[in-house]
Amino acid sequence: MFAVTDTIVAVATPPGPGGIGVVRLSGPDAHAIACALIARDGGLQPRHATRATVRLGAADLARDACTAAAARSGPHLGRGATGDDAQDTVPGSSRAGTDRGAIDQVVATYFPAPHSYTGDHVVELSAHGSPIVLRLIVRAAIDGGARLAEPGEFTLRAFLNSRIDLPQAEAVGDLIAAVTPLQARVAFDQLQGTLTQAIAGIDAALFDLIARLEASVDFPDEGYHFIEPEQVGAALDDLSRRTRTLLAEARRGRLIREGFQVAIVGRPNVGKSSLFNALVGASRAIVTDVPGTTRDLVTETVDLAGLRVTLVDTAGICETQDSVEAEGVARSRGALGSADLALIVVDGSQALDESDRDLVLQIIDNTRLIVSTKLDLPAAWTSSDLGAGPIVSVSARTGEGVEELRGQILATLEVEPALADPPAITNVRHIALVERAQEALMRAREATLADGVGLPEEFVLADLQQARAALEEITGRRASDAVLAEIFSRFCIGK
Amino acid sequence: MRDRFDVIVVGAGHAGCEAAYAAARLGARVGLCTLSTGTVAHMPCNPAIGGTAKGHLVREIDALGGLMGRAIDATGIQFKLLNRSRGPAVWSPRAQADKKIYGRWMRAALDGEANIEWLIGRAGGLLVAHGRVVGLTLEEGDAYRCRALVVTAGTFLNGMIHIGPEQSASGRAGEPPSHELAESLKANGFEWGRLKTGTPPRLDRHSIDFTRSVAEGRFQPERGDDPPVPFSFLSPRIERLQVECHLLHTNQRVRELVEANLHRSPLFNGQIRGIGPRYCPSLEDKIVRFADRERHQVFLEPEGLDVREIYVNGFSTSLPRDVQEALVHALPGLEDAELIRPGYAVEYDFIQPTELTRRLETKRIAGLFLAGQVNGTSGYEEAAAQGIVAGINAAHLTMGREGFEVRRDEGYVGILVDDLITKGCLEPYRMFTSRAEHRLLLRIDNADLRLTPRGRSAGLVDDERWERFRARQDRHCHNTRLLHETLVRSDSGDRVPASQLLRQPGVRLASLIGEGLVPGVSLDEAAASIDIASVETEIRYAGYIRRQQSEIERAGKEERRRIPLDFPFERVPGLSREVVQRLGQVRPDTLGQALRIPGVTPAAVAVLSAYIGRLTT
Repeated sequence: MFAVTDTIVAVATPPGPGGIGVVRLSGPDAHAIACALIARDGGLQPRHATRATVRLGAADLARDACTAAAARSGPHLGRGATGDDAQDTVPGSSRAGTDRGAIDQVVATYFPAPHSYTGDHVVELSAHGSPIVLRLIVRAAIDGGARLAEPGEFTLRAFLNSRIDLPQAEAVGDLIAAVTPLQARVAFDQLQGTLTQAIAGIDAALFDLIARLEASVDFPDEGYHFIEPEQVGAALDDLSRRTRTLLAEARRGRLIREGFQVAIVGRPNVGKSSLFNALVGASRAIVTDVPGTTRDLVTETVDLAGLRVTLVDTAGICETQDSVEAEGVARSRGALGSADLALIVVDGSQALDESDRDLVLQIIDNTRLIVSTKLDLPAAWTSSDLGAGPIVSVSARTGEGVEELRGQILATLEVEPALADPPAITNVRHIALVERAQEALMRAREATLADGVGLPEEFVLADLQQARAALEEITGRRASDAVLAEIFSRFCIGK
Repeated sequence: MRDRFDVIVVGAGHAGCEAAYAAARLGARVGLCTLSTGTVAHMPCNPAIGGTAKGHLVREIDALGGLMGRAIDATGIQFKLLNRSRGPAVWSPRAQADKKIYGRWMRAALDGEANIEWLIGRAGGLLVAHGRVVGLTLEEGDAYRCRALVVTAGTFLNGMIHIGPEQSASGRAGEPPSHELAESLKANGFEWGRLKTGTPPRLDRHSIDFTRSVAEGRFQPERGDDPPVPFSFLSPRIERLQVECHLLHTNQRVRELVEANLHRSPLFNGQIRGIGPRYCPSLEDKIVRFADRERHQVFLEPEGLDVREIYVNGFSTSLPRDVQEALVHALPGLEDAELIRPGYAVEYDFIQPTELTRRLETKRIAGLFLAGQVNGTSGYEEAAAQGIVAGINAAHLTMGREGFEVRRDEGYVGILVDDLITKGCLEPYRMFTSRAEHRLLLRIDNADLRLTPRGRSAGLVDDERWERFRARQDRHCHNTRLLHETLVRSDSGDRVPASQLLRQPGVRLASLIGEGLVPGVSLDEAAASIDIASVETEIRYAGYIRRQQSEIERAGKEERRRIPLDFPFERVPGLSREVVQRLGQVRPDTLGQALRIPGVTPAAVAVLSAYIGRLTT
């Protein structure tokens, strides 16, 4: 059983008022400190949601009677739970009687180690979602010997205590950040351990092969065959197949996790904004702030068949002398550069223009879809006039073709909506490591093929060990503090 | 108290001999304590030196200036380079020794050192004052002063021999155990355990008809390499007479006998509690654990050119004498063989090597060094490697010089020491190439390039060896450059650098030289094969070698990040109690070592790493 050396506390629910706010304590003194807060002599029954009242000021009386280990020395509660003006503003704090210092009714649940989120002793106090009350509770806990948690520290402890591995820890973050049901599902899948299992399966097969090759190297004259030469090639082929299967889903997985960006570009007045609105209107809007997009561009994040898509309405790319307009054009080009897909909008009711053709030529490298607007009006040109392949025709006004456009967007990016099995791998860090393992496996395979004779086992083994090392970096069995710091700093405090 | 020595070495086995020689060479006055000069560098088990990974150790000991390589070259009677069909990183030299002559050679080498004085007697207790070693008492009563003490007690600490139900307190067959020394060590609080090892019976060669058995196909003759590949970088060609060994197999009758008598085997009936070496199983172990195998290999190896004893390799056992006789007679061709000595198992105390620093000095008592089987290793080579490290460090200690530590990426010696002090021993430790994460860089051909400079700065490499080494280094650089610059016609008709051609499978440098395509290649007459191996390997496998080197660099920063002495592990938030306890026990000096401690997770090390700068001691 593990026990870490200090107790942390934080508000686990998002900031701001709400129905419920949860204060979470984790560590050897979690139980003692919590009992002191709720003035509970007899301790809390494990895993039992217990109604209680948080009292400030009576804490130091109750602490001695509490059953758990002594709390660390900290500022005494004698001067009031928080030592600041909270005492004065809390109703009833100056009255004598059993309710002195009571600030909230809570539901307390005690999870003794190791069967808790972090693997430490954990107590969760569900209070009313009042920011001030929650803050008071946290301060009282700190005065009682706890320390304010760092960002991601609860999840870090879960990882350090081997309750979860690294992909699972990352999945917690993904789950919290998910904005579409598909994102949530994929994150949850990773939390359940789908990726972990897939990696473990590959790792086990890899380890078996390594063990056999090592044995044949280290015991050359025992007369035992640990693996026949032909079997080595077959085993390597199988391993490559497994990593390839994982990677095949990687692109789609990454798009699901990170979402993608669609930039709407075209000459001024071709109907970009109407198209933008039509696409947005046809999709469920997502009301969160989207980091990373320029504020001067109109953007909207929508759920497109479970995928998180950011639509960017650009100002229109054209040649201009006007400096303000030039600025807008520059921004549009920027959005284009970071977009996964460009919708090149051309007015279907007007004759084709040089700048239309230029645009098509310029964006030939990006993934693109050519959209012809104003379908409700007589067409002025056909796709063969433009000579740039198939186009999608829509009418923003009537809505005709918009649904087809949404489908084409997904098809162009090769991201089929919600298939039966969500991709197991979504995270760039994981993808890069699986690719590294895949490359090492391919080198090993080549080494066994070279001219039929093959390189000696120790070289094959060198590559196999590298493949294994890459996989271990995914699960965190091999972790550098830089990577861990990076992963866990992305969490918020209280997670 | 009697004479004052700088260094006293207890035990003249493989570890003790290297330790005494190294310390004496460095100028220390050495007292070498042993029961008898007749058992110097004795080989109680397999009369052979080397093997997979062990051969690497011997090369490294030689590169540092130690004795073992030269000793076996001078006394070997069959040489084989194992894993010849595999790659250069796992080629492993092995040789049968003429056992008695090997011991005599070592004795003569030590006699030749004026700084070594023999102390004949039974080592008794340590004399310790204020946490430092100050001397040694012998059981006979004498006491000697010293400033450093190297204990290489082998299997003698509370040794107990088992032959079936017979038990006798012995360190080796016919030799008394060390009881007082064992208790003296334990009294100082060292963590200890109990291990066991075993040896097979010896047969009288005159009672075996080799010719007939070979003719009848029951024995398969095994010859050594011709010409033999020497171990030492200093050795000339080996001209001595080479012997044949013979291979045969166990059969159903052997299996039945073992199974019927398992209850009489001390290994299986609970009489022996010590843990045995997993990689060197006894016959009973093999029959039981590999029940699906119909037969096991057995080798008959002569223990010398002129001696009667035949060593039965693969037949280690502690079954009762009568069963051993029956077993031998059940083997094909050995129906009439006579046993000169039965096989036996020996149980002994060992000291947990987590008690040691990287210099093999104990953390509890300054100036006390432990080396060899007493640390839980198995094998003469593993013992000798520790002996040379301990010997250099003991001498350095008395001379006020900096200590001598070998890193994992420098050699198998470094891996051996690091594994021992970091992980401790739950079972006898044997070296394998798979223990090396940088196996491609730690080859037998480049042992001198890696370690002779280290040996020189430690003071153990003499001028003769150093000059030979410098010449070798020069040849290596010269040849590498030459191969990159010389153009050779390839199959397609183009003229390409020889180095490029060498990267093709099937192209051998020796052939290129033989065909006169690379004139100017400089080879030493005696060391030609090493010269060729080094330059060919580095060119041919340049990509792999480069990758391993960059891995070392990448991990190097973290690996070598030092943990301050007395670092307060318990004050690092987020470490579990178990991890804190492990760290406190081993006291790793680098983050890399911390990572290798069993039970310490990489995540814990990552957290530790973040706090090294922040917490002061």
